[in-house]
Amino acid sequence: MTLVFALAAATIFGFGAYLVLTNDLVRVVAGMVLISQSAVLVVIASGLTRGAAPILPTGDERPSDALVQAMALTAIVIGLAVTALLLAIVARVRATLHSLEVRELARDEAEHTAEIEQSQEPQLEELDRDEAEDEQ
Amino acid sequence: MTILTEAVARLLLAPSLMVAAAILIKGYVDVGDGFAAAVVVSLAIALQYLAFGARRAEQELPVLRFAPQTAIVGLLVALSSGFFAVISGGAPFTHEPSVGARVVRIGRLELMTAVSFDFGIFLLIAGALVALIHHLAEPPELEPDLEEDAEAAR
Amino acid sequence: MPQQTSPPARVATRDPLAWAVALVALGAFAGCIALWRTGGGTIDVSWARELDLRLHFSFDGIGALYGLLATGIGAAVFAYATAYVPLHLDHQARPARDRWRFWPWMALFMLSMVGLATAQDLILLFVLFDVTAVCSYFLIAFDRQERASRLAALMALLVTGGGAVAMLIGAVILYADHGTFSIPELASLLRTQDEAGGIATGTTVAIGLIAAAALIKSAQVPLHFWLPRAMAAPTPVSAYLHSAAMVAAGVLVIGRVFQLVEVAPVVQDGMLAIGLLSIAVGGALSLTRDGFKQVLAYSTISQYGYVVMLYGIGGRDGATAAAFYVVAHAIAKSALFLTAGTVTMAAGCRRLSTVGGLARELPVLAVASALAAATLSALPLTIGFFKDELFFRAAAEHSTLLGVVSVLAAGLTFAYTWRFWGGIFLGERRVGGAADDAAAAAKPLAPVPALLTAPIAVLAVLAVLGGIVVGPFAELASDAAGATLGHDVQLQLAYHLDARETWMAALAWLLGGLLLATPKAWGPAARALSRAGERFGPSHVYELSLSAVNRWSDRLHDVEVRDLRSRVAAVLLPGGILVALGFAATPTAGVFQIGSIDGTDLLVVALLALVAIAAGVVAFTHQHIAIVLALAVVGLGLATVYALLGAPDVALVAMLVETVVTLVFLAIVAYAPRGERPSRRELAGVASEPQRRHTHSRRWRDPLIGVVAGAAAFLVIWGALSRPTPAERVVDELVRLTPAAHGRDVVTVILADFRGLDTMVEVTVIGVAVFGVIALLRRGRTW
Repeated sequence: MTLVFALAAATIFGFGAYLVLTNDLVRVVAGMVLISQSAVLVVIASGLTRGAAPILPTGDERPSDALVQAMALTAIVIGLAVTALLLAIVARVRATLHSLEVRELARDEAEHTAEIEQSQEPQLEELDRDEAEDEQ
Repeated sequence: MTILTEAVARLLLAPSLMVAAAILIKGYVDVGDGFAAAVVVSLAIALQYLAFGARRAEQELPVLRFAPQTAIVGLLVALSSGFFAVISGGAPFTHEPSVGARVVRIGRLELMTAVSFDFGIFLLIAGALVALIHHLAEPPELEPDLEEDAEAAR
Repeated sequence: MPQQTSPPARVATRDPLAWAVALVALGAFAGCIALWRTGGGTIDVSWARELDLRLHFSFDGIGALYGLLATGIGAAVFAYATAYVPLHLDHQARPARDRWRFWPWMALFMLSMVGLATAQDLILLFVLFDVTAVCSYFLIAFDRQERASRLAALMALLVTGGGAVAMLIGAVILYADHGTFSIPELASLLRTQDEAGGIATGTTVAIGLIAAAALIKSAQVPLHFWLPRAMAAPTPVSAYLHSAAMVAAGVLVIGRVFQLVEVAPVVQDGMLAIGLLSIAVGGALSLTRDGFKQVLAYSTISQYGYVVMLYGIGGRDGATAAAFYVVAHAIAKSALFLTAGTVTMAAGCRRLSTVGGLARELPVLAVASALAAATLSALPLTIGFFKDELFFRAAAEHSTLLGVVSVLAAGLTFAYTWRFWGGIFLGERRVGGAADDAAAAAKPLAPVPALLTAPIAVLAVLAVLGGIVVGPFAELASDAAGATLGHDVQLQLAYHLDARETWMAALAWLLGGLLLATPKAWGPAARALSRAGERFGPSHVYELSLSAVNRWSDRLHDVEVRDLRSRVAAVLLPGGILVALGFAATPTAGVFQIGSIDGTDLLVVALLALVAIAAGVVAFTHQHIAIVLALAVVGLGLATVYALLGAPDVALVAMLVETVVTLVFLAIVAYAPRGERPSRRELAGVASEPQRRHTHSRRWRDPLIGVVAGAAAFLVIWGALSRPTPAERVVDELVRLTPAAHGRDVVTVILADFRGLDTMVEVTVIGVAVFGVIALLRRGRTW
């Protein structure tokens, strides 16, 4: 089983890594989800014992490792939080920039920066010193 | 959505909240905990959103409005349960009454800080997830200047 | 500022929020008096034993002195602010709800000051120090529509916050060397060590860092420049933070850790030098300023220079004089700040060159602030007289030179204080114009609500009472000095007409009067100093470094955003290399185990195969809906696997979470139809460069990276899973302990009890994520 778990987790991770590099933000998020799923699977697979559910009394059978289960639960919950945040970023990007293509976003950003630099606000050090004097 | 989904959604709300309550209360002796119960609650709410749409769901269940407050109360409950032991000189996040001491019971539910901690987690996660559903149910709000851009884009 | 004749303050002063905060301050003041009279008390809770962190508060002499100042001056300033804030908001046409950006921070500031005054633990001191910095940030930036306010707030936060970091570093060094954060324990440890043959260099450095943090907070030269800038805050904030609270926090910390400073003579001598420098620079610059609050700000720098110098002198005289000085100065200075605010509200101007001769129209204010000015310049029959007497005595006892310097310093104080008062209340009557401006001579004053004068009068009365019945104040100061020095101190104060100190004071008044009478003689020199400070001084260095940091951040941002993919790769690649190095360093020959397949394992294998295929579908489909559905298959398949592996709790949560994620994912994907969209530039009709340049080379690169990553992960995971730790008894131990925790579900008991702190942090992540979502999608509205 060790080999099977390793193979499965590695496959999911590999697909996730590929997705993270794609150009489409939704697929990037999907890649992050896959990577975290793979991590949870590894945590569960690393349990020292495998057997009955760790709910007392377990009878004769040895219970599964409860510690990794608690950790896996934590990982799942944090995965949920991260996914929600990533999706919110995706929604915000789409609403403001009308695109989810990473390359387009980078290009827009570059153009935007150029625009800002043209209409640069005054530098800090140029700020009139009397301004501080002027404050009430 | 069809009348059927609306009817089903309406019918399922109470039972799913029941299930959540069961998972929460039985959490210490059986499968499930505050977190699982909270996710069940949020799923039940999500079903209402799906069936009725965000606006109607929030009209029919005005209590949803208090989701952020619920989350904050949950956080406070969890924190105060966690630090309760500090008052009597224990380390934080140890349960109180301490090992071996008598525990007050209501039926089979034992009242101790670990249980109220779990309850705090339940409130926090339920409130947070419902707020999340609410926010994701509508398209994001645009900032004024960006709205102009959006106009131009159209 | 436009003139307002309508009195909107009438209605708004009944603001319950404001009065609640003011009453809390008054109640806390009464509580502090009661605690002081009954001898205080101590709270000591060790809340994180492993890290040796304690909530250790003790209401000793220092706690009493600064606690009374923070709450007493606080009550007066808050009462003033109940009238000031509504007027201020009204002048700026801001909604009344903006007061919520004022009062809670003021209340928190007061609370953290009281906490700071009583804290006995270096980490606690650091945390509260930072809380005051954060509060001051929001209070200074109260007029957040003004760029200058925002920059001033940022400057105060960066400079004092940076100081706080120095304090933390010092605390950690002391902990590493001596094993405790507790200030009393450190004091006795260091004293023993000092007597046994001197302390280590590291300890001296640590003490120096803590002292530096305190000096920065007290706006001492050369890091004083944040204080005049911070005058962009509304007047009550300046009056409170920059007389009795924020800058006082610095000398409070010095008083608290004084027994540490005493064993490091280098640090103490440094304080003496910095104190003298601050007196000189602050005083000279104060004489050149025109804005009311600027004059007062530089005067504060100078006055805290006195206190720092007194701590530098040290000993019984120094510590007592410093404590007494802080009290007298706080009362007088807050009254003067409030005067500046009232005059600004009445006359609509805030420069000495544009007002004058207001004594007849604002008689109460004139008398009250004259008393405050008298206190600051140490005239008899005010509490200020004794502050200078103690100051002169400590200086003269130290050396004759210091005695001479102290007379010069007091003369300087006399000059800038009366320059401020005289500039406003004496001379030809004018409002908003130069001396011979007819319009300015006739321009009427706006009506002044009684609450903008009464607190100043109360403070002035207090200052005079202190000059007549000095007993309680002397006791307060001697208690504080006792706590500072670690042994009891007696202080008797009375008027002695023939004492050396009285002659020194008279000399100082004379000198101050001379300075006032001859502005032409020293004006050019002082102004040159001021200009030089602006051109080459530390504030210039601050601005240069800030804009350098900005530039670097811009550059980094540029690199990141231009190529997000390379950034992802920039995380993946070093991560991969590190893992590979770790893998290479671990002996792996012969450890790989294949494991056996038995029982329900065949089902698990089949499910894992399904999951792997579904993951492949996620990777190779471009339809968003298909991606979401395939992700759901992955998640639910894994949930079933967990169920089969004897992890029902995980299976339940995984299934539920998967459902939620699928729903949310669908919602996001459904917002808008997918597809290539024109960029903003294309929308504007400008052609952009062709984008599909890299497509060909990338077709094979990305899958290849995926395969390499997967293969590497496979080796590492297989290697790790093949070598379980031999600590199998942990499993049994957890099962054994579960009944003792009154539970039967081991996993829940681990989460809620054994590892409760982990769970707390984990749900905090959820909370933070929800706040992130709110900020992203709803611009901060929680619902």
